Amino acid sequence: MASHGLTYEGCNFLRQRLVLSALSGKRVKIKNIRSKDDEPGLRGTVLVYQPGLLYGGTVEHDCNPQRSIGYYLEALLMLGPFMKSPLKATLRGVTNDLTDPTVDLLKSTALPVMKKFGIDGEGFDIKVVKRGMAPGGGGEVVFTCPVRKTVRPVQLTDPGKIKRIRGVAYSVRVSPQMGNRIVESARGILNQFLPDIYIYTDHMKGANSGKSPGFGLTLVAETLNGYFLSAEMLSTPQGQGDPILPEDLGRNCAKLLLEEIYRGGCVDSSNQSLALLLMTLGQQDVSKVLLGPLSPYTIEFLRHIRDFFQIMFKIEVQKPLEDERKGGDKVLMTCVGVGYSNISKTLK
Amino acid sequence: MPFKKQKQHQQKHSGPKAEKKKLKKQNGSTEEDERKRNPKAFAVQSAVRMAKTFHRAQDIKTKKHHVPVVDRTPLEPPPIVIVVVGPPKVGKSTLIRCLIKNFTRQKLTDICGPVTIVSGKKRRLTFMECNNDINSMIDLAKVADLVLMLIDASFGFEMETFEFLNICQVHGFPRIMGVLTHLDAFKNNKTLRKTKKNLKHRFWTEVYQGAKLFYLSGMVYGEYQNQEVKNLGRFISVMKFRPLVWQTSHPYILADRIEDLTDPERLRTDPKCDRTVSLYGYLRGTHLKNKGQVHIPGVGDFQMSDVNFLPDPCPLPGTQKKRALNEKERLLYAPMAGVGGVVYDKDAVYIDLPANHVKQLQEVRPTTELVQSLIETHVTLDAKMAASKVSLFSGSAGLDPTDIMQEGLREIHVWDAHTQTQRRKVVFTGLEEEEDDVSGSSSDEDDDGSDQENQEEEDDLSTFLKEVRDKSEKATKGSTPPVKKRKLEEMQGEEEVIAEAPAFADSEDELERGEADSEGEGEAERAGDSGHCSKESEEDSDDEEDGDEDDESMEEEIGADDSDEEEEQGKYHSGLFTFSLCSILWTFKWKEGLQQKASAAFLRHQEAAPNLRKLVYGSVVEAEDSEEEEEELGGLFRVNRPQKSKKVQADALDCSHFNPDISHNWELEEMLNSIRDCFVTGQWEEGQDAATLLKEDEELYGDFEDLETGKVHKGTTGEQDQAEVRDSEYSVKMDDEEVQKNKRLEKKRRLKERFDTEYDDGDATYFDDLKEEMQKQAELNRAEFEDMDDESRVQYEGFRPGMYVRLEISSLPCEFVTNFDPHYPVIIGGLGTSEGNVGYLQMRLKKHRWYERILKTRDPLILSLGWRRFQTIPLYHIEDHNGRHRLLKYTPQHMHCGASIWGPITPQGTGFLAVQSVSGVKANFRIAATGVVLDLDKSVTIVKKLKLIGYPYKIFQNTCFIKGMFNTVLEVAKFEGASIRTVSGVRGQIKKALSTPPGAFRATFEDRLLMSDIVFLRSWYPVSIPQLYNPVTSLLLPVGQKDSWSGMRTVGQLKHDLGVRNKPSIDSLYKPITRAPRHFNPLHIPKELQKALPFKSKPKLLQPKGKVPRDLKRASVIREPHERKVAELLRALSTVHHYKKKVAQRAHHAKHKEFLQQKEKDEEAKMKRMKDARKKLYRIMGQKDQKKQRSSLKGTPQDD
Repeated sequence: MASHGLTYEGCNFLRQRLVLSALSGKRVKIKNIRSKDDEPGLRGTVLVYQPGLLYGGTVEHDCNPQRSIGYYLEALLMLGPFMKSPLKATLRGVTNDLTDPTVDLLKSTALPVMKKFGIDGEGFDIKVVKRGMAPGGGGEVVFTCPVRKTVRPVQLTDPGKIKRIRGVAYSVRVSPQMGNRIVESARGILNQFLPDIYIYTDHMKGANSGKSPGFGLTLVAETLNGYFLSAEMLSTPQGQGDPILPEDLGRNCAKLLLEEIYRGGCVDSSNQSLALLLMTLGQQDVSKVLLGPLSPYTIEFLRHIRDFFQIMFKIEVQKPLEDERKGGDKVLMTCVGVGYSNISKTLK
Repeated sequence: MPFKKQKQHQQKHSGPKAEKKKLKKQNGSTEEDERKRNPKAFAVQSAVRMAKTFHRAQDIKTKKHHVPVVDRTPLEPPPIVIVVVGPPKVGKSTLIRCLIKNFTRQKLTDICGPVTIVSGKKRRLTFMECNNDINSMIDLAKVADLVLMLIDASFGFEMETFEFLNICQVHGFPRIMGVLTHLDAFKNNKTLRKTKKNLKHRFWTEVYQGAKLFYLSGMVYGEYQNQEVKNLGRFISVMKFRPLVWQTSHPYILADRIEDLTDPERLRTDPKCDRTVSLYGYLRGTHLKNKGQVHIPGVGDFQMSDVNFLPDPCPLPGTQKKRALNEKERLLYAPMAGVGGVVYDKDAVYIDLPANHVKQLQEVRPTTELVQSLIETHVTLDAKMAASKVSLFSGSAGLDPTDIMQEGLREIHVWDAHTQTQRRKVVFTGLEEEEDDVSGSSSDEDDDGSDQENQEEEDDLSTFLKEVRDKSEKATKGSTPPVKKRKLEEMQGEEEVIAEAPAFADSEDELERGEADSEGEGEAERAGDSGHCSKESEEDSDDEEDGDEDDESMEEEIGADDSDEEEEQGKYHSGLFTFSLCSILWTFKWKEGLQQKASAAFLRHQEAAPNLRKLVYGSVVEAEDSEEEEEELGGLFRVNRPQKSKKVQADALDCSHFNPDISHNWELEEMLNSIRDCFVTGQWEEGQDAATLLKEDEELYGDFEDLETGKVHKGTTGEQDQAEVRDSEYSVKMDDEEVQKNKRLEKKRRLKERFDTEYDDGDATYFDDLKEEMQKQAELNRAEFEDMDDESRVQYEGFRPGMYVRLEISSLPCEFVTNFDPHYPVIIGGLGTSEGNVGYLQMRLKKHRWYERILKTRDPLILSLGWRRFQTIPLYHIEDHNGRHRLLKYTPQHMHCGASIWGPITPQGTGFLAVQSVSGVKANFRIAATGVVLDLDKSVTIVKKLKLIGYPYKIFQNTCFIKGMFNTVLEVAKFEGASIRTVSGVRGQIKKALSTPPGAFRATFEDRLLMSDIVFLRSWYPVSIPQLYNPVTSLLLPVGQKDSWSGMRTVGQLKHDLGVRNKPSIDSLYKPITRAPRHFNPLHIPKELQKALPFKSKPKLLQPKGKVPRDLKRASVIREPHERKVAELLRALSTVHHYKKKVAQRAHHAKHKEFLQQKEKDEEAKMKRMKDARKKLYRIMGQKDQKKQRSSLKGTPQDD
C-alpha cells in the first residue's frame, strides 16, 4: 500500500531526488541511468529507492575522490535536521575541488542559512580536521547537526548592505607564502568597495595537509542583516591543466564575489536549493526569501519539490530601479510550507 | 428519643454588641482600616511563606497560558460541524429538525447526510447525525467541532455516551454540549431535580467542571419547545472553538454529495468495475494539495485524480450592516436529503423545483434546456457519434468519424532541406480515441482542411489546432471580442489541453446556440470553467501578445524538459537565467555599443520576467499530465520526438554550481558602479541615510548641552522647517503639500515606533513576544495571497479551508457506490507527507479501566489512529530496568505498557483507541485500550525469555559436561562464556564445546553438581512483529449491515467457533507428587574436629558398645540337688503366697469401690438438699428485693 512513487530518467539531479524522496516518503525510481554509456557507473541503469526513516547518529564515510566532500555534504545538510538522533558524520576524501562547493564555502554560508530556519544549537558545525585537495584527497570533515521536529517559517526579504568581507586563503603542500599572495591580490580589488576586509590564511601541514598540493580562496561577504554571500576559487588540481598564479586566483575570486554580490539576495547562489527546501518543509505559513537569479540546479529543484511535495513557489522578479546601483534582478520566492514534522524523532 | 428543637438565634437589637455591629455597618470598615489598626497582623511574617504564595500565584497564572499557535483560520471559515450523538430513540433527528426549523424556517422531514445551513451573518452550521454504530462514532468524533450529546434523562447515561466521550478524548476533544431530553417523563418534581443534578455532575466529571448541559423539558406536537430550541441555537451560534491539533494539521472533507462518474458502458459490461466517483464538500482543516493522498475511513487509501473548487452552494450573506438575516439568506443545503436548490457543475445538474428561495438565476434556463434535450434524446451517444460530422473549418464539408477511425493523426519525421530542420509530418491513421472524436464533434470540418494541414511544419502543429478551435469557437461565441478569444484559444492549443476539453461543455454550447446567443459572454466563461480550461492560459494570454513565435517555441521546449535550449537559443534569452549559453555575447567587444547592449539586456529582462514562472514550472496544465505528455500530446497525436538532447541533460553532471555570467567584466567601472550601493559605503535609502537619521535624532531630542565642552546645541527643528519651506518654494512641483504631509506622517510613524520600542517592550514577557510573532505570521499568511484570484491562489497554497471543493477519485471499489448509505458519514481525510506509507509503530498503551478483560499479545485488535480504522496484531511489551523490552503475554491491569504494531505511519504524539470488535452492539464497554504513538520504527527490539535446558552427563569436581542444550558445536560456540544456572541455584558458565556428543559442552560451576540437576541457560529471543494491516471497510458493506464488519478472529474466538478444545501438553498437567524416602549417609566428623569436641559429644562415646570381653563376663552358678529342691519349694511357696495376696487385694478393691459409690450417692443427696434449700432462700430474697424496688419506684418508702 506504499504511496505512489515517482519515476525519473537519467543520472542528473540524483541527490535532489533521493533527498526529497527520503523526506517526503515517496518511492522514487530512476531509469535509464547513462543507458547509452558503456560504463554506466552502477551495476545496472535503474535505481529504485524506497525511503525509510533517517537514523542519524555517528556515521563515517570514505567519499569517492572523484567528487569532493561538498557534494555529499550538500545532501547531508538537507537531511541532517530530520534524523532520529543528532548526526555526527565524519567524511573523508577531497575537501576542496572545482566542481562542487567546497567545505569552507558550505561552512560559511549554508550554516547561517539553516540557522535562520531555527536549526541551531551547540552541536551544529562543520569542522575541517584535515584538508585534502583534489585529486588525491585525504581530507577529513566532521559535520554535526542537531535534530529538529519542525522548521520555522522565515521572511528573508531585506538583505541589507554588506558590512564586512571575510575569507580564508588556504594552502597545502605548497609554500605558505601562497596564502599571503592570494590575500594581497584579492584585497586589491575588494578595497575599492569596503575597508573592512580580513582574509585569514590557513596553511595546513603534515598529517593535516592531505595528499595533493593546492591552494585556494573562499570569500564571504556579510550583510548588516546577517546574510552571507560567498565566492571561491581554487588552484587547478595537480597534473590537470595549466597551473594558476595565486595573484590571478585572488583577483578572479574577488571578481566572482562581486558577481555574487551583483546577483545578490539573502541566500547565495549555491544555497538556494537548501533555503527553498527548508521553506517547503516549514509550518503551514508563508515563507519568503529573496534570491538572486535562480541557478539551473535550483530550477530543477523547484520542479522536483513540486513533484514530491505539490508545492509551487510564487516567483516574483524584482527589478532594480533606474538609478539604483544594487546589482541585477532579484527573485522573491514565496511559498506556504507543507507543515512537515520530523517523523523520525522519538517522542518520550 | 424525642426530637429536641434547637434554640433559634436571636439577633440582638440593643446592648453593646448591637451597638458595635451597627457601628461597623455604618462605617463599613475596610481592609485598609484594619491594616492601619493592626499593622502587625499584616506585616511579613515569613519571607519563605511569602515567596511560596507568590510562587503559587505565578504558577496558577502561568498554567492558564497555552502555547501560542499561528491562527490559520481562513477569512471565510467552513461551516461548523455539529455532530448530534446519542443512543437510539433519544431524539436526535427531532433535535436537528427543530434546530433547522429554528434557523431557516424550513422543515426537513428526512435527515439524510450532512445538512448545511446559514445560521448567522458569519456562521454556517453543518449538522450530522451520528447513528448508534461505533464506526460512525469514531469517524465523526474526528471531524466534529461541536458535539451535541443527547441523553435520555428518564433512563440515565448509556454506554454509548461514555464510549463517545472516550473516543473524543483520544482524538482531540471537540466542544461538547450535553442535552437532556425526555424530561417530561418525570412526574415528581423532586426526582426530576435530583436526576438533573446527578446527571450534571457525572457529565462534568467526564467533560470538564462547568460543562454546559442543556435541558429540553418536553415535546409539543412531536417537537421540542420553541423557546428552548431557540436558546440552544443561540448557544451554538456564539460558541467559540479552540483548534484541535489533528484537525488543523490535516485537510478533510465531510462529503455532502457524491456522484458516480463511471462510464455507463463500462458499468454495463462490468458492473463490478472500479468506479470513478466525485465527492463534494466543504474543505476544512488546512490547505489541500491537488493529487495528494487521502484516506476515506471505512473505504481505504486513494490518490485524488483531480480537485477543483466550486462556487459555494450555501454562501454567507453579503456584508451589509444589519442585524438579522433576511429570508433569502437563510439557506439550507443538504443534497443527500434532497435539498439544495439548483446545483450546477461538471458532473450533474440538480434542480429542486419546489419554491425554495435559493438562487435560481441564470442557470435555470440552460440547464432545464439541457435536461430537456437529454430527455428528448432517443438515440444513444454512439449512434449520434456515428451520424455526426466534424468540420475543422467552417464552411467546409464535415469529417465523418468513420474516416477518423481509419486515419487518426500521426506524425512521421521528414527532413526538410529547405529549412534545415526535421519536420514532423502529420499522417492520419486509425489510432484514435473516442474522447477526441467527441470533442471534435461540435465543430464542422472537412477533409480538405486537414489535408492542407498535413503539410504544416512541426511548430505549426499547435497553430493548426488553434485555428481549428478558433473557428469552432467563433461559431459558438459570436459576441466575444475575437482577438482576446483567439489568444485564449491559442493558449489552449499550445498547452494541449484538448484531452481535457470535455464533450459536455461543447455539446452544451451547441444546444444553447439557438437562443442563448445574447448571453454568450457569461456562457463562455462558464463553459470554460466547467470544461477545465485552465485559468492559467487566460492569465498568461496577455504575456503572449508580444511575441507569439518566441513564446511558442519556449513553451514547446519547456514541455520537452528544457532540452533543446541550445538549439533555440537564438530565439530567446533569459538574462536572468544564463545557462552558460551566451556564446553570442561572448564574441561581443565591450568597447563598442555599450548602450545598445544595455538596452538589449533590458529588453531581455523584460522578456524573461513574466516567463520566469513558466520557465520553472511550465504551464500548469502541462504539469498535471507531465508524465503522459511524452507519449501523448493533446490525446490526439503521438509524438516520437528525438530525445537525444534530453538524454544529454538527464545524464549530465549532478552539480549545484552556478556558473557566473561571462558577459560581466568586472574590470570595468560601469560594472563596479552597478553594485556600489550593495555596500555600507554606498548610498543609503532616504530613510536610512546616516545624515537623515542624525537630523531626526536632533529633532527628537532637541537641545542638549555637551557637558565636556559646555557647548549648548540648539534644536534645529524650526530652522529646518523653514528650510523645508524654502525648499518647497523653490521646488518646481506643485503638490508640495502632499509631500510635506507624507514626510510629516513618516516622521510621526517613526517617532511612534521608537516610543513603542522604548516603552512597550519593557515588561513584555517571552510569552507576549511569542504571541506577537504568531500574530504577525498570521497577518502575513492572510495578506500574502489575498489579492490573487482563486485559480492561481490555489496553485500556490493549495485549496484553502472554507472552499467548496469537488474531488475526483478514480478507483473506488464498486461497493462504495452500490452500497452507499447517506446515514453514514463519508469523510475524506488528507494525508500528510509519508502518512500514506505503512511501517512499524511503537506506542504507549493502557487497557481502559472500564474494559473487563485484559488484552492478549497477538490477538488482533482494531485501532482507530489518525483518520484510519484498521485491524492489526499488537505485541505488548514493557521496559525492564536494564532497558530491555520484554514481551508481555497480556497487558497489565492498571499500568501503561508498550505496544508495537505494523500499521500506517502517523506522526508521533497522535492518540489512538482500540476496540476488539466493531460489529453489533454489546452490553459492555467496548473501548479496550487507549494510547499514543511514540515512535515510527523498529528501534525497540522486543524480546521474549527463552530457557535452554541441558543435563549433566559427567561430573568432576566443579566442572561438568552437559548435553542436550545445543545440537551442534557451532551453536555452543555462539554461547561460549554465557552464564548458566541449575534449578537449585548453582551458577556457572559455559566453557567450551565438546566434540562428542554434538552440542555437548564443558561448563564450570560454583559448586559440584549432582547428576539429577537440570541446567538451564536463560536467553532473550527477539520477536518479530506480525505484519497485519487490515483497514476496516465498513462503508463497503451492504446497507443495513454496515455495523457488522468482522475481520480476523482471535485464536480464542476461532476455537470457540470451531469447537476446538485445546489439548494440553502432558508436561503441563499436574501429577500427584511422590517422594522417595531419602537415605542419609552416616555423619563423618574429621579427626581434628573430634579432638576439639567436648568429651560428652565425642563420637566415640556416642557409638554403641561392642561385645563384653570374656574376662569381664560372670561365671554361671550350678546348684547342688538339695539346694535345688529347697529353691524349688521356696518358689512354689512364694507363688502360692502371691496368689493369695492377689485375691485378697482384689476383694479389698471391690469392697472399697462399693464404699466409694455409696459415699458418692450420699454426697449427691446432700447436695440436692442443699441446693433446694438455697433455691428457696434465693427466691425469697429476690421477691423481697423486687418488692423493695417496686416500692422505691413508686416513690413511697414503705419499708426500709
